[in-house]
Amino acid sequence: MADKVPLLLSLAVAIFALGLLGVVVRRNVLVMLMCMELMLNGVNLSLVTFAHQTGTAVGAVLVFLIFVVAAAEIAIAIPIVLLLVRSKRTLDLDAYTDLKG
Amino acid sequence: MTGTIDTLLQNLDTLLLYVLAAGALVGAVLMLVLRQPMRVATALIATMVCLGGIYGLLGVHLIAVFQVLIYVGAVMVFMVYAIMLLDARDPSVRSRFSGLLVPGIVAFALFLGALVYGLWQSVPAAASGPHGAGLTLKAFAAAFLSEYWLHFELTSVLLVAAVVAALAVIKVHRTDHGG
Amino acid sequence: MNHLLTLIVLLPLAGFLLNGLAGPRLGKRFVTAVGCGLPILAFLATVQCVLTLNAAGDPLVERVYTWARIGESTFDVAFYFDRLTAVMTLIVTGVGSLIHVYSVGYMKEDKGYARYFAYLNLFLFFMLLLVLGRSLLVLFVGWEGVGLASYLLIGFWFEDAEKARAGKKAFIVNRIGDAGFLVGMFVLYSTLGTLDMDRINAAFMASPMPAVSASLVGILLFIGATGKSAQIPLYVWLPDAMAGPTPVSALIHAATMVTAGVYMIARLSGIYVHAPEASQVIAVVGVLTAFFAATIAIAQTDIKRVLAYSTISQLGFMFVALGVGAYGVAIFHLYTHAFFKACLFLGSGSVIHALSGEQDIRKMGGLARKIPVTFVTFAVATAAIAGLPPLAGYFSKDEILWFAFASERGGSPLLWGLAAGTALLTAFYMFRLLWLTFFGRSRMTPEVEHHIHESPFSMTSVLVVLAVFSAIGGFFSIPHFLEPLLPMPEAKHELHHLETPLVVVSVVLALLGLAAAAFFFGRDAERANRLRPRFAGLQKLLYDKYYIDELYDRLITRPLYWISDRVFLRIGDRALLDGTLNGLAGLAQRTAGALGRVQTGNLHLYALFVLLGSLACLLLVWRHV
Repeated sequence: MADKVPLLLSLAVAIFALGLLGVVVRRNVLVMLMCMELMLNGVNLSLVTFAHQTGTAVGAVLVFLIFVVAAAEIAIAIPIVLLLVRSKRTLDLDAYTDLKG
Repeated sequence: MTGTIDTLLQNLDTLLLYVLAAGALVGAVLMLVLRQPMRVATALIATMVCLGGIYGLLGVHLIAVFQVLIYVGAVMVFMVYAIMLLDARDPSVRSRFSGLLVPGIVAFALFLGALVYGLWQSVPAAASGPHGAGLTLKAFAAAFLSEYWLHFELTSVLLVAAVVAALAVIKVHRTDHGG
Repeated sequence: MNHLLTLIVLLPLAGFLLNGLAGPRLGKRFVTAVGCGLPILAFLATVQCVLTLNAAGDPLVERVYTWARIGESTFDVAFYFDRLTAVMTLIVTGVGSLIHVYSVGYMKEDKGYARYFAYLNLFLFFMLLLVLGRSLLVLFVGWEGVGLASYLLIGFWFEDAEKARAGKKAFIVNRIGDAGFLVGMFVLYSTLGTLDMDRINAAFMASPMPAVSASLVGILLFIGATGKSAQIPLYVWLPDAMAGPTPVSALIHAATMVTAGVYMIARLSGIYVHAPEASQVIAVVGVLTAFFAATIAIAQTDIKRVLAYSTISQLGFMFVALGVGAYGVAIFHLYTHAFFKACLFLGSGSVIHALSGEQDIRKMGGLARKIPVTFVTFAVATAAIAGLPPLAGYFSKDEILWFAFASERGGSPLLWGLAAGTALLTAFYMFRLLWLTFFGRSRMTPEVEHHIHESPFSMTSVLVVLAVFSAIGGFFSIPHFLEPLLPMPEAKHELHHLETPLVVVSVVLALLGLAAAAFFFGRDAERANRLRPRFAGLQKLLYDKYYIDELYDRLITRPLYWISDRVFLRIGDRALLDGTLNGLAGLAQRTAGALGRVQTGNLHLYALFVLLGSLACLLLVWRHV
């Protein structure tokens, strides 16, 4: 599996880039959140690849930490989005321009 | 005989890897293209499961399990709940893309191109450690609780903070409604 | 005994401080005691110094302290007392004290009594600095200081805008002259390395300086003198200065301050002896001023204005003497002028006081019997200024006329002619003043006439003293007293025989002026009134002082205002300075506004920026790849 490292890394990069593109391109707030999760996944893949490559536990530990952070993040992000949507009554991100100027 | 089984198994591993990689990629692309948020969530779950598979193939079974357990089982479920709570007849469903579609795609292409190019230019040397051996739970636990004990404790702090924040959000929500 | 000179200077300063700070609270008696007593003490100290000087023979020098030490040169504050200083200081403290006493009566009703005496003492302090200073620097401090005191006193009744403006005018016009004075000082210092006047004189007498340098310095210093001593072209402030209280006019604008220019040039005679061009300029300007002012005086109707123009004219005489090298004679005329002019001014003050403020001579008349003391002293002083023998003015004026005619150093018949003409006019207008004020029928309003009263003793006593000196002062020959210091110029040999005839001519001129005045202005000026319509144009020209003030206004004041407003205010200050600052601020604001447009509030755009930013960083880091 060692020779597959470049491929896996490219996959990780592609997933990360797609996630970032999704944040730029999609209009729905929830979909944007999911794209951010996608980005995290891309990073996870690269970390796991490195862990496999070097054989040490560092990569795996970091991935675990990312899991924790992602969970905590989503636990707060969704309620925030819910509250925002309640006041603006739309999921369209283009409507959230209160911080303009 | 064992040689051919090994080669066969190796080929199988490689094939599986390719399939799972393709699956993850397709899922990611679908995420960007699908209209309904629920379907987007499904695509993401598919991607995550494929990725979990890849982790398994790479030998870090622990992480693969956690991927499915935490990411798919907790995070995505929560996501699905949220999607179900919110209105589907939202205008954002009718027009999926923001105004920055074209510049986004261009930038994305450049970004991806630069990264991949750089990646293939500086392909890392052959690995040092024993590959294929995978990471055992024992090794993981030992590393986590000895060398990375601080990170461990900090994560618990982070989780406490998250709990407090969640409570605060509930309170705001309650006072909004005079409850 | 060592510090007597310093004491003379400091006594009036103490008076200023006491009266200025504590005067209003301590009452009129205290103010009078301090205000008059200290100058009298200064006068007594001066007398003592004169006796010491006589005994010692050498000039007294007192070094007070070192003002500054810059590199290798030191600037000291020091006082110098020789015969010339003695004469000046006696006049300043003596006549000054008399006028202080007069002011007690004149300013009795005024609510600014303490302030008045404080300012008057301040003036005395600066004037003494001026005459006692050894270095041109100390003299200049005194010079500026008397200008300040003059401004304060002219505008004493500052609630009246006109009077305040007169004070400002005096100060500003003086300043213009002072610019020339300063440049002169700079030239002197750069060529000689010292500003001590005795050393300057010695340097000039020892080795003849290049002619251009002496004349240059001479003319520059003279410019300062034209400002302070009211000669052409900077005399315009003196007639307006009559807005101040009359004793001020007597002290400052007749006896002492305006003579500072004459003193300064006499003191620096060492320079002028070697500067024939400068001396010529002085003589010409002096005689022109004298004649010019005399012509204006004959048409004036305010009693103080006639005397103001008379002062300008008499100062012109002094400068004529200086210009032909007769420095001692100029000081002699300064000395006699101090007596009779102060007497005339104080007499006019007495008249104004008697008539409850009336100053227009067309509204006077017939006062001779009603205020006899004032009349007699005024008449004596008038005769003195006209040059009737054997009064003081005759001696000094006569010497000036003789040297104007015959001095080796610039005397000429033309100079004499104009000066003699001025003498004739002087007699004429002064007696005109006397006749219109004191003789004839009364042209006053009934209520003014009802309140006529002779002035109090404090005022009349001073008038008597001054009149006595106007009469006998001429017998003490100042030029001879100053001869060792200021040698008299040689008279042209071939003209020696004309000396006595010239004396006779001057007396005849004076009597002619008297007769003409009596002829035209006697019997209520009936003949003058009959002739007036024929000379209306000329009279208006003279009455309006040849429109010089208006000319200055057009040529100088208004263009300056215009430049100030258009160039400096609108362009310089508002457009350039404010514009730059506001422009910079505006630029910052507009830049911020433009940059602020990046924050659209649209998250997609921010995410795109993140993408592009990371791409850029990536390219930057991997550029070698």
